[in-house]
Amino acid sequence: MSIKFDAIIVGAGPAGLTAAQRLASKGLKVLVVERGRKPGSKNVYGGRIYAHVLDKLYPEYVKEAPVERWVRKERISFLTEDSGTTIEFETNNVEHKSFTASLSDFTEWLGKKAEAAGAVIISESPVDSLVVKEGTVVGIRSGNDEVYGDVVISAEGINRLVLERSGLAPKLEPQMVGVGVKEVIKLGRKVINDRFNVDDDEGVAWAIAGFSTHYVPGGAFIYTNKDEITLGLVIYLGHGSKVDVPVYDMVEEFRLHPFINRLIKDGQLLEYSGHLTPIMGLNASPPSLYGNGYLVVGDAAGFLLHGGIIIRGVDFAIESGRVAADAIIKIHEEGGKYDGSSLSLYGNMLEESFVMKELRAFRNAHRALDEPRLYNDYAKFINAFLKRYFDVDGTPRKIFSTFKETKGNLTILDMMRDMTKVVTNL
Amino acid sequence: MDELTIVVPVKAAVPNITAVRLDPNTHNLVREGVPLMINPYDRNAVELALRIKDRFGGKVITISMAPPNGKDFLESTIGMGVDEGILITDRVFAGADTLATSHAIAKSIAKLYPNFSLIIMGEETTDSTTAHMPAQVASWLEIPFVYYATDAEPNIKDGTVKITRYLEDEGLLEEFIYNMPIIMSVYRNSNPPRDISLNRKIMAKVNGLVKVLTNKELGLNPDCVGLKGSPTIVAKIEDAKPLPRKKQIFQGDPKEGAKWLLENLVKEGVIR
Repeated sequence: MSIKFDAIIVGAGPAGLTAAQRLASKGLKVLVVERGRKPGSKNVYGGRIYAHVLDKLYPEYVKEAPVERWVRKERISFLTEDSGTTIEFETNNVEHKSFTASLSDFTEWLGKKAEAAGAVIISESPVDSLVVKEGTVVGIRSGNDEVYGDVVISAEGINRLVLERSGLAPKLEPQMVGVGVKEVIKLGRKVINDRFNVDDDEGVAWAIAGFSTHYVPGGAFIYTNKDEITLGLVIYLGHGSKVDVPVYDMVEEFRLHPFINRLIKDGQLLEYSGHLTPIMGLNASPPSLYGNGYLVVGDAAGFLLHGGIIIRGVDFAIESGRVAADAIIKIHEEGGKYDGSSLSLYGNMLEESFVMKELRAFRNAHRALDEPRLYNDYAKFINAFLKRYFDVDGTPRKIFSTFKETKGNLTILDMMRDMTKVVTNL
Repeated sequence: MDELTIVVPVKAAVPNITAVRLDPNTHNLVREGVPLMINPYDRNAVELALRIKDRFGGKVITISMAPPNGKDFLESTIGMGVDEGILITDRVFAGADTLATSHAIAKSIAKLYPNFSLIIMGEETTDSTTAHMPAQVASWLEIPFVYYATDAEPNIKDGTVKITRYLEDEGLLEEFIYNMPIIMSVYRNSNPPRDISLNRKIMAKVNGLVKVLTNKELGLNPDCVGLKGSPTIVAKIEDAKPLPRKKQIFQGDPKEGAKWLLENLVKEGVIR
């Protein structure tokens, strides 16, 4: 009764669906199995997609995809209980570089593209494990059913239980991941335009460190959609033991911070969600990105570039899905033998693409980003310094004396060391 | 009768009834943008149909009137073991109350499966809980209706069926023998639904086992379906105001606290 597929993809997220669309459009028989109610329903991210990869693969996205706002303002803030210091960058002269979007809606759109190309997408079916025969992955197992395919793509996301259960990836270590929580708050288009000082299709991307995570490594974010804002935070789990309240309380406290609260006044909470996110890039990759009969793409492969302020996952997911599909198409045309050595083509093609080039460049980013002082002492210092500096009361305030007065436990040596870490690794 | 034909009408229900919104003008449920799922009690009905098929053979069909995205949950019933699904979907069916819905379902069954043996339905839906549908479908088709059914044993040779039903309040099991065709609704705590098979869901999609029909194919009387065929008017909806809480807090010894709690609960008439 069961049908044999040319390729089976575990997970209908941006990586899996891009691979599915590309494979199906070349006439391969493709099955995508998704545990959520529909493609995208299990996806969670902060709020922004970098568009460069879409320009190449889905040029029609500008008209068709559910784009919310094009990011025109980038903000970085250091926040304490009572103060905040913000750097805001804005330019008139931007092409469309990145946009905010609901990832669920966007992924659903990618799902429609894949289905239109001929891929079979089955939702609400969790995959339990891979079917391995004589050292080769030959299909997937779901409940009592097995489905067979020439090659299986794991696009199951960061919580890669299928790879784990199949012995192809070790359990995640806490320091490899962050836990993210997010709220979507409806404000209305005009209110957002007014409060964030933007036009109808212009958006704000905002990263906030310090009080937002109780000074523990991690960070908060705010993105503006058309009618809603998304607000949330990520805590690096390696530092989880230092967290004094549950993360869902932490996001509430962040939302109630006077500077944030006035921006979202009278807003209506539409949804909340939580998810793991890879924060160590390639250091979170499974031991091998391909093997006999399978390959790994997207978050499951650790393809998330975390550069502190810039965090990119969706473009890496899509590109890795594209590369996986192109490798499979080539092998399919040459007779369809998917052993580890033929699939090394995927590895080689990844090295040629921006996926590996950029991820390798940021390979040690976590060394800098894992430094607790960045989120604690510096956030406090920069605010204390400016507070003191601007507090004119008739006593002289020279920069160096103010610095000495407000630097707290930080030593100049620390600062130089941390600066070096940041400059060399980011 | 040479083969059993069992039809199970199912509903695309709103999954989270605590989060539904009501249209302030029409007082109808807002369904746009709300993901749909199969009404949970309908899965028990599908299960009973499949158990009958497992024992006595025949064919099980699920039918639903829903927006086009209702195809997915009909495919999931095929994943359970159903043979084919029928999705009836058309703008003219929109805005239907239970009467117009039962008309569309009953007349579609009569047209598509004139030789049906059994119609099996869920006890009620979780999102509107009227339990109107089985009785109304029965009256359109002029066949008997048994509710709270837990089992049915058809006899293909003489065209009868023995139906067992459970009356919860009385704690009684009753058995009836009827001539087929007949309609029954299934006691919600019976026939827990079986797992959904991935291979069958794939087959449903690849082989197109869910047929989508509009009123062009069905030719139902447009005056009897949709908003036009719906005499129900929701005249008024009131929000139930939350009761003001007294918010009393006892601090101190837990034993004293328990006593204090008991005294107060008695005083308030909560317990006697």
